[in-house]
This record gives sequence, structure tokens and C-alpha cells, in this order.
Amino acid sequence: MIKKTFLFAVLVALSSLSRAQQTTAPPESSGTDSLLNSLTAGDKGQPVIATFKSTRLILSETSETIKKNNLNFMVIHRFGDIGGDAGGGKTLWGLDNSSDIYIGFEYGLTDNLDIDFGRSKYEQLLELGLKYNILHQTTDNSMPFAVTLVGKTGLKPYEVSTRVFDDYSNRLNYFAQIILARKFSSSFSFQLSPSFVRNNLPFPYLAGNRQGFIALSAAGRLKFSKRMGIVVDYAHPFSSYRQNSTSPKFYDPSGVGLEIETGGHVFTINFTNAQAISPMNFLSDTESKWTKGQYRLGFAITRVFDFNSKHKGTYK
Amino acid sequence: MKYIALILLVWFGNQARQETYVAKNARISLFSKAPLEDIDASSTQGTSVYNAATGDLAFSVPIRTFKFQKSMMQDHFNENYMESDKYPNATFKGRVQEKVETEKDGTYPVTVTGTLDVHGVKQTRSIKGIITVKNAAVSMTSDFLVQCKDHKIDIPQLVFQKIAESIQIKVAANYTPYKK
Repeated sequence: MIKKTFLFAVLVALSSLSRAQQTTAPPESSGTDSLLNSLTAGDKGQPVIATFKSTRLILSETSETIKKNNLNFMVIHRFGDIGGDAGGGKTLWGLDNSSDIYIGFEYGLTDNLDIDFGRSKYEQLLELGLKYNILHQTTDNSMPFAVTLVGKTGLKPYEVSTRVFDDYSNRLNYFAQIILARKFSSSFSFQLSPSFVRNNLPFPYLAGNRQGFIALSAAGRLKFSKRMGIVVDYAHPFSSYRQNSTSPKFYDPSGVGLEIETGGHVFTINFTNAQAISPMNFLSDTESKWTKGQYRLGFAITRVFDFNSKHKGTYK
Repeated sequence: MKYIALILLVWFGNQARQETYVAKNARISLFSKAPLEDIDASSTQGTSVYNAATGDLAFSVPIRTFKFQKSMMQDHFNENYMESDKYPNATFKGRVQEKVETEKDGTYPVTVTGTLDVHGVKQTRSIKGIITVKNAAVSMTSDFLVQCKDHKIDIPQLVFQKIAESIQIKVAANYTPYKK
């Protein structure tokens, strides 16, 4: 009974206190505050957006897809070796040469699924692919990372470095990848992507090479301003043939670059030892080494066009 | 004793019910005329608490719930302008200057004075609005301007798409009496 009386006294005291506060205290510390907080506290986690600014970093595809009815147009370029035998002043440090040029389009079928088409100078590879952002990272960490699947088919319509396309199926190549990406903070994002490459005719076309192998890529971005960031990219093919081959020797493709976003465009200026742009090419065949001067300047320009109907106007 | 306590509690509870109103799906829209393309978005996930007895009024809206027609605009709004990772909500906390009788139907033009917190920058504002009471239902509408520079929302020179310096905000909230 004493307990109850005490409880009652406390209750009365509290309620009168809160009333006193409501009439005298400044609005900011009023009771509406805590009520508002309790109303908004139950909000569920939202999907994390803009883990990366574009669908490409330097070598890797990012976890981002192109949103519904948007078209992404990409021009990616790799110049020639800066140093070494093919570089130096006589080629204006590689600017005279282009080791690869990629022109590609990505179109959003839904907000999470896009269809991609592109063409590389390297092996004149045509590629067609689908990319599906199957799981989103959430702000409450109930899903700590995003999962994106990539599937591509490549076709080599011309005989660039071989004459042995006796069977049409030998021209086909396949690429499958799972991208696991996490935005750790608004400035730092990182992704790991295991992938599988299959070239029906083992590429490069050398004795002992196999059709299929697995690779692992790691890539990250560190923003130092709202619109600019440093990007790094690295991949390692797990292929005993590439590991053991001495002529030619294979090296892990890697790159470092600067990413700049200006509204609808994203520009990347980078340095990489990989000559090729398509993953089917650079994972299969990177024979250039940084310390031999076999690295190059590269750039990427991407532009997103939005074909969603003009504003109906939601401001009511 | 027990019964007195109970009666008093119910009485307090009742009183609180009569004077505190909440709105859970307040509509908040923003609009800005820009040379290239109008910026236009809205959220229907604003929350508000209004205490008719004291005049205390609070609003909160998660920045991420603003929906744009163009997904890229929405991304840029969150990433580059509002920095919704760092400042997830826009809030307003103030007091209605006029006395509104929620028992009586009518339209009350009011001025609310308080603190507007957008992009982590607080500004003291006096915002005009209208409170409508009809069949014991309370609703509120308001129209006001937010200057980007008042809230340190940077508009960089690098951006090709020019963005207006001031944003029109429209708020509409339908309140229900708060039940504990």
C-alpha cells in the first residue's frame, strides 16, 4: 500500500512537472519532442543508395545498376604503355596508341535489372549481358551488404589474333560474377567479386591454356569531396596455367584512378597495367607489368539519360 | 486509495488525449524552378505532433522518403545536397502563436515560431500556416521557402544542371487525437 501511494505521488508529481514544463520551457525541450521521437523511432531501415557513383570503377563493374528507363552511355579508353619498349617520348608516353576502346550501353529494365551491350577494340569482342541487384544493403544493417549478379556473353566476330575459329561456338565467351558491396560510410565503399570466366577457345590461344577459370576482384572508393574520389581496383585470376606460364608471363590486373561526378556525367581518369577493358579479356590476358613501365593512362566517361516521362508534377 | 489513483490517472489520460494530436503520414513537397528542369519531389512519411493546449508543434521527415520522378535526381538530392547519410531527417520544432480551439470548427490562420533543422543547420523561423478544425478533425497546411545557403546546402560550380537557390516547401498534415 505504501508502495502504491508512493507510486501515485510520483505520478502526480511527474504529470504536474510536465505540465509546468509545457507552459514555461522553450519549445525545443517540450513533451512533443519525445512523443515525436517515439513516433519516428519505429522506422524501418531504408535501402542504402549510391554505394558507387557509376556502374564501372576502373576494371570492375560496381554493384550499381541503371534504374528503370534510364540509359547509360559509356566510352572507356586505355592508351598505350607509358614506359618500357612501347612507351616513352616516341609514343608521347602511350598517348599515340590505344590498347583498348570500349563503347557500351546499359538500359534499366527495372530499378534493379539492366541489360548491357558493348564492344571492345581488344579482340573486337562484342558483349551482351544482364545485371541484377538482387539484395540491397540497408541502413539498419539487417542486410549488411548489397548483392549484384552479372552475366555476360561475349562474341568475337572477327579473327583478330587467331585463325582457328573453325567452329562458330569457339567465338563465344562467358562471364559470371557475384558482386558483394558495402558502403561503410558516405565516403568509403568497398566490394569483393568472385567471378567465373569461360572462353570456349582458351584465350590467349596458347598450348596448355584452359577454357574456364575463377577470379576474385576487390575494388573500393574513397571520396574526398562530395563529387570526387580515389578509386582502386584489383583482380586475381586463380589459374594454374597463368600462374606457371613463363612465356608469356601473366600479371594481376590492377588500377588506381580519380573519379569525378558532375551531375549526369561521371568521369574517371586512371592508371592501370591491364590493356583490356572487358573482364573476359583482362582476366584472361594481362601480360603487362607495372614495374616494366607497362602501365597506361585511361579514362571513362559515362552519361545517364533518363527516359522516364516528363514531370507530371508531384508538388501539391 | 487505489481507486482515487485510477480515477486521477484516467482523468489525466483523458486530458492528454484531448490536447495532443499526431499526424503520421504528413505530406511534404518541395519544388524549385530550375532553368533546365524543375526540381519536384514529395514525401508522405512526415510525422508531426501538435499540442493544442500549449501550442507546441513538431514536424519530422526522413530525407530519404522524398520521391523524385527521376531516380538520378533523387540520388543526387540525397548524396550531394542533403547528405542524408549524415543528416537523415529534416525537423521543425516550434510553437503556434495563436490559440486554436480544437472543439470548435473553423479555419485558423496561424504563425508558428521555432527552429527549422535542415541539413544539420538550425534556423529560427516564423512560418505561416492554416489550421483547420472540422468535425473535431484537425488539419494543417503551410507554404514556405527554404534558402539553400541558410542551411549550407552547397550548389557547386561544377554542376551543369543549375539549381535554384530557394526551394518552395508545402506541408499538409491530418491529425488524429493521440491515444496512449
